[in-house]
Amino acid sequence: MRDFWRRFRRNKGAVVGLVILLLVVLVAATAPWLYPGSPWDMAGAPFSPPGEMGMLLGTDSLGRDVAAGIAHGARISLLVGAVSTVAALLVGVTLGAVAGYLGGFADDAVMRFTEFFQTIPSFVLAILLVAIFTPSIGSVVFAIAIVSWPPVARVVRAEFLSLRGREFVQAAEVLGKSRLSIVLTDILPNALSPIVVLSSLMVASAILLESALSFLGLGDPNLMTWGFLIGSGRSVIRLAWWMSVFPGIAIFLTVLALNLVGEGLSDALNPRLARQRGGAA
Amino acid sequence: MSLLRVEGLTVALPPGGDRPHAVEDVSFHVDAGEILCVVGESGSGKSISANAVMGLLPKGLPVRRGSITFEGRNLLSLAPEAMRKLRGERLAMIFQEPMTALNPLMRVGDQIAEVLRVHGSGADAARRVPELLAAVNLPDPAAIARSHPFRLSGGQRQRVMIAMALALEPALLIADEPTTALDVTTQMQILRLIREIQSRRGMGVLFITHDFGVVAEIADRVAVMQRGRIVEQGPAEELLNRPQHPYTRALIAAVPHGAAEARAVIATAPVLELRGVEKTYRRGGFFGARAVVRAVHDADFTLRRGETLGLVGESGSGKSTLARCVVKLVEPEQGTIAYHGTDLRPLSRAAWKPYRQRIQMVFQDPYASLNPRRTVGDTIAEGPVTHGEPRGKALERARELLRLVQLDPGAMDRYPHEFSGGQRQRIGIARALAMEPELLIADEPVSALDVSVQAQVLALLAEIRARLGLTMLFITHDLRVAAQICDRVAVMQRGAIVEQGPTSEVFAAPQHPYTRQLLDSIPGRGWTPPAL
Repeated sequence: MRDFWRRFRRNKGAVVGLVILLLVVLVAATAPWLYPGSPWDMAGAPFSPPGEMGMLLGTDSLGRDVAAGIAHGARISLLVGAVSTVAALLVGVTLGAVAGYLGGFADDAVMRFTEFFQTIPSFVLAILLVAIFTPSIGSVVFAIAIVSWPPVARVVRAEFLSLRGREFVQAAEVLGKSRLSIVLTDILPNALSPIVVLSSLMVASAILLESALSFLGLGDPNLMTWGFLIGSGRSVIRLAWWMSVFPGIAIFLTVLALNLVGEGLSDALNPRLARQRGGAA
Repeated sequence: MSLLRVEGLTVALPPGGDRPHAVEDVSFHVDAGEILCVVGESGSGKSISANAVMGLLPKGLPVRRGSITFEGRNLLSLAPEAMRKLRGERLAMIFQEPMTALNPLMRVGDQIAEVLRVHGSGADAARRVPELLAAVNLPDPAAIARSHPFRLSGGQRQRVMIAMALALEPALLIADEPTTALDVTTQMQILRLIREIQSRRGMGVLFITHDFGVVAEIADRVAVMQRGRIVEQGPAEELLNRPQHPYTRALIAAVPHGAAEARAVIATAPVLELRGVEKTYRRGGFFGARAVVRAVHDADFTLRRGETLGLVGESGSGKSTLARCVVKLVEPEQGTIAYHGTDLRPLSRAAWKPYRQRIQMVFQDPYASLNPRRTVGDTIAEGPVTHGEPRGKALERARELLRLVQLDPGAMDRYPHEFSGGQRQRIGIARALAMEPELLIADEPVSALDVSVQAQVLALLAEIRARLGLTMLFITHDLRVAAQICDRVAVMQRGAIVEQGPTSEVFAAPQHPYTRQLLDSIPGRGWTPPAL
């Protein structure tokens, strides 16, 4: 574990990403104290620029505090990112494990099923799903999970395929262990590193996807989100740039941080690859 | 004056290694027209020495002291440009792994022509390339020159590598374990080829190997390396038969002697009987021809209680597939696998489970056969726990087993990566023994190990077998090992057993031509390791 941390720290970008990510989490966690009350309430005069009338990041067309919106929106963005990733992992890992370990017909069946999802543009599918199930936080999470599990299934399948042929897995077969226990105790622990790296990137893309859905007005109408903030500021961007720019920066920083952390994790979990890339990072 | 003279060479290891220097104070010389073998176990620094001569040391391994003089020039002070010109033209190298040393996208002929072109003699490439391919005894040089590497076998690729190395008629050829990845019959052909070309052209050859059989086959002089130092150096005949240094003596004593003694015929009840087992692999078929590989056919044998049967053969002969059929890692299409009279082949996974306790397996690669994320104790106790033994009791037995395989019981809570190859193989053996099996299948259990470790593991297997009365199916490609440990041997070729019988009879009077060819190909068969 100490080794892992040492290798992670060697990647400076990853440390910066981790710091940003922790700040975002901190803001999300303290939002109810930083900005008590609902972010939908009027807090000042409409269209106040940043810094005026005690509004750090200005107000929107209805006088709502943009900073409060960003702080409360961070809660939703992180929640959607985390929950939909966990759901996608559950589906993807299960299907990938079945395909990779059993091979043969099961592999063919699962992979064709996966391709079926991959051939539909994921954003269009997500819009469709949210539109069908009426926008709510549940349907948004469901839609994001549905469109983001196929890559997980593919990665897990590839890992399982190569691990299945390894001698320690064969040794477990010869010992007479059950299939389930071979998958859970022998193969999965050795396939974890790519899954961990992939999931950090999936959180990032889930946040982007959620923002895009909210921007189109398909977010949960009762919840303040970053995408909604940008979307509502879109029509008055020449009049009040701060309404769109600050939530945009929040999305940008969070996604960047997650990507940096993902790369750091990948370096720390595959030290040999990191060294081949030059080791200077 | 010597062709190559290395004096007091010291190469540093990065800090944090197990020793400060990769090689320390190494001195040797190679004259024109002689073969110097550098022998040593893995990690002894023999490849580092060769790479230092070629100027191919990685950045992390700087030369600290010493000199390398080649044809009167100090190679260490040469500019990179001058060194590059020297490489290929005067100094050439062939590598261990012929499968990856050629560019897969380039035709073989073009790759050899490239060597000529880079050194400014590309004009007569069209004439020289077929000549070179013919010189390394490749059949139909014109056709080979037009092939891509994937069409060639390992032995053919190694010949192409040698042809490339010889293209500019170098004065010194460095061969880094050039036959280690090859089968024994191919190895013999390559060794003969190197010998022949060397004497025809009067080259000096620096030959790196870990195999004393190969040394006996090819060397004029020998240098033995241990932990980065040369411990003994001398003429081959002298060093092989009258080694002085304790390390050399230990290494030579560990070489399996290859002499099969006559053993008592074992006539107990059969434990395992294979009849008509067939396994065929089919590939392709959608477009183009279906490739059908008959991995196992005509391979009947009977294994009696307390007996050790050796399955010997080259890679691809089907010996591992046959062994895996016995434990249902591979499912054959037909035939019977009778264990004490019960046919195991049609049994389901669940019906097989009771037999898992009776039939166990030791695997080849000690680095791949242990789960890296599980402690040694859990690894050994895993089998019995799966079959319903309480965990505490299983761990207690694991502790005893570690003692049985001569490891410290303190190893229980450590992870596999903390152990050496030989220690890991002992852990693998302990895992198999934890089930208290009657039949042990050992799939090349020593082929990934250094010779001294190999001797220890073989001795351990022999002792355990005697103590526990195990019946053993022993798969190996090394005939010397088979001679030492097996009561009977079965020789496999292209999926079929072509000859079987008591080890001493098969070795003394082989009937099948393939068996004869295999026995003739044992490197250094003219040399009997002295009793030390």
